[in-house]
Amino acid sequence: MDASIRDKVAVIGVGCTKFGDLFDQNLADLMVEAATAACADAGVGLDELNAAWLGTFSPGMNGGKATITLADALRFHGRPITRVENYCATGTDAFRNAVMAVASGQVKMALVLGAEKLKDRPVRGLQREGIHPLLEYGTTAPGMFALAANRYMNTYGVKRESLAKVAVKNHAAGALNPKAHFQMKVTEEQVLKAPLIAYPFGLFDCCPTTDGAAAAIICSAETARALGKPLITVKGMGLAVRTGKPFLDPTCDYRGFPATQEASAQAYKAAGIKNPVEEISFAEVHDCFTWTELTNTEDLGFCKAGEGPRFVEEGHSTIGGKLPVNPSGGLKSFGHPVGATGVRMVYEIVTQLREQAGPRQVKNARIGLAHNLGGPGAVSCVLLLGRDT
Amino acid sequence: MIGITAFAAAIPAYRVARDTIAAAWETRSLGGRLAAHRFDEDSLTLAASAAADCLCTLPGKTAGGLYFASTTAPFLERLNAGLVAAFLDLPAETRTADFANSLRAGLFALGAATDAVAAGRSENVIAAAADTRNAPAGGDEEQFYGDAAAAIAIGSTNVLAEIISRGGISDDFLETVRRDRDDYVTSFASKFTAERGYAHSMAAAIRRNMQQAKLEPAQISRLVLSSPDKGAHLALAKKLGFQPAQVQDTAWDQLGVTGTAMPLLLLASALEQAKPGEYILVAAHGDGAGAMILRTTEELAGYRPRASFAQQLASAIEFRSYTKWRKSRDYLREQDDTLEVSNIWYAKEETQNVRLRGMECGHCGTRQLQHQLLCPKCHKTDAIQEVPLARTGSVFTFAVDQLFPSPFPPTAMAVVDLDGGGRIYCEVVDCDPDKVQIGLPVELTIRRLKEGGGLHHYYWKCRPKRF
Repeated sequence: MDASIRDKVAVIGVGCTKFGDLFDQNLADLMVEAATAACADAGVGLDELNAAWLGTFSPGMNGGKATITLADALRFHGRPITRVENYCATGTDAFRNAVMAVASGQVKMALVLGAEKLKDRPVRGLQREGIHPLLEYGTTAPGMFALAANRYMNTYGVKRESLAKVAVKNHAAGALNPKAHFQMKVTEEQVLKAPLIAYPFGLFDCCPTTDGAAAAIICSAETARALGKPLITVKGMGLAVRTGKPFLDPTCDYRGFPATQEASAQAYKAAGIKNPVEEISFAEVHDCFTWTELTNTEDLGFCKAGEGPRFVEEGHSTIGGKLPVNPSGGLKSFGHPVGATGVRMVYEIVTQLREQAGPRQVKNARIGLAHNLGGPGAVSCVLLLGRDT
Repeated sequence: MIGITAFAAAIPAYRVARDTIAAAWETRSLGGRLAAHRFDEDSLTLAASAAADCLCTLPGKTAGGLYFASTTAPFLERLNAGLVAAFLDLPAETRTADFANSLRAGLFALGAATDAVAAGRSENVIAAAADTRNAPAGGDEEQFYGDAAAAIAIGSTNVLAEIISRGGISDDFLETVRRDRDDYVTSFASKFTAERGYAHSMAAAIRRNMQQAKLEPAQISRLVLSSPDKGAHLALAKKLGFQPAQVQDTAWDQLGVTGTAMPLLLLASALEQAKPGEYILVAAHGDGAGAMILRTTEELAGYRPRASFAQQLASAIEFRSYTKWRKSRDYLREQDDTLEVSNIWYAKEETQNVRLRGMECGHCGTRQLQHQLLCPKCHKTDAIQEVPLARTGSVFTFAVDQLFPSPFPPTAMAVVDLDGGGRIYCEVVDCDPDKVQIGLPVELTIRRLKEGGGLHHYYWKCRPKRF
């Protein structure tokens, strides 16, 4: 039995806080802002929702670990709440689980809420939890992705200039996005001359640590039609997990991220997509580092292995290109509050499909792809959303 | 015949110029350089490095015993030799003991190893001596102490140098002292110390051995003497009727005074230069003095130490500032005591983390470091076996990370594919991080990683393959 999820579940409301250094707000404040915005967008009350999925990665000083964080912030009591944590794929996976519950008929209308407060933490970057005290001592996100990037750059003869072009593109898009963490353009020279974080990544090759929350209200396509909503449905979904310790795994060759290849294959199959680069209108992909976007475009089948640099250099992934990638500014500019990021991608896709994206609007947006990549390339979740034509 | 069957020196890759120290205090420089440990090295890691190099030139690459000697042992309660033996993956039957508290501790370990072999209790007992002594900041001794280790194996077959005589005198004399509450050595340096603490005791020990072996000074090819400073040993040799050419260089100019490692280290350097049929006299001071006379055999001509004194003396990276040199000595002491582990976890993972044994699949031959009951390649579970992993390999990929916890960022981190299979993720040390590249051949080296839970935590790092 391999029943397709295609067109069974609709997104009827989305909301998103401003992303950034939200020093004056706590996690609950962000949850209330995103959830009430999504409810207002959908035209439903919080009390009308039957269940909620909370996506948070890292429990902080003020909650985030358990479902009670959402229950208390929204007084969402007496109903099922599930917390999802799946590395940086937390947001998309929370959405995916909610979609399956709605598709099953068990839940009529669900809230998906991704929220993360990273800036209150005493550590720089992401808190490391549950890692081996010796074998993985001191690992950092830039360090992990730099291992993969250096191998890739050595294999394909790629220079830092190719990585910098992703930063230039995604900063240009972020400059058009009033909710983005960074809203300024950068030049290739600025990117290349920035202080190094983990070679080959300089400061502008890295996404920031960000506070933010995003929410989506989902229900069955029939319910959405009955409510008279413009129909934006889930076309396909996929999730795949690979080793979380490629640096200890002798079978890992560091050629692309198989998790992305497998998750996208699942989603394409469900959506009936044969030729992604022709059939997908735009994509929000996981550019945690500039190089990651290059390899993502290959793993998602937008171009062949090793052609990611040319794909960006030839302008195919700009807002006016043949397959705009990260028209929102991506993690690079929009920011990366881990658990919120995947839900923020759903917010962006719905906004684009409704043609409400203003100066960053993609032309003829019919199918949008959201992609998260978690851990050291270990977990990938891919979502495809489309509008009724 | 009982004598030396293997030897190795372990000199840290780093040096500090005495000019650098003198400039920091606006004082007089004694010239030359000191051997300086990196922030992640201590007497245990240096001894482990020397013992490992010594072990791999022994037949069967195994030893019957491992003795550790130091005045700067990282553990005051917990057998340091036991931990070194585990890093060397030696079996539980290995004789282990710590020798401590005296500059002669290295010589004591060598003597105990000789006794064990002579008594027929053991074969090829390694005595590993190391010191990383700390002088008070700004004190004269700051320009004296260098860090180093040496390991010497004693056995009864394939002997490179036979032990002809040994013996010494004990003297509870105040020369250098460090109480249980002190971080730094208190030195009673004076003319009296030079006479009674050094010359008198050394002369007594040397004469006793010469008489025992019935040898005259002219018959000694190499006179290997510890020395508290630049020239005390030369004056002593002259007084005892030796010519300057007979006296082994103490490496004062390149390494400094290397504590309890000094006699073993200089003996290793003498053996590297010696030819078969030579008499070597080694003597060391500290709470009295001890000595030993050896005669090199034909076996010596065919012996190559894995890590020679001469090569390590030449290869050196320099701390260019006093602050960095000092920081490297204090860094781990100042570290957060945060990594708490249970002894259950430690014991369960000892073969993996300490002995560096991995798992091999009998079906497809895939090896991995992590102890997992399922093959990562063919997913079978019925033929997984524990195997020792090679301690050499090459860099598969790397990152030069500014955020990795270190006193001197950036840190070069590498994914290393070990020769024969297995993969490890570790820091690349003793080289410029910017010089690390894919394919670089490396060897594993045990280092201090972190502090916590009342323990020093050690783990593997790698360095460019040296020789």
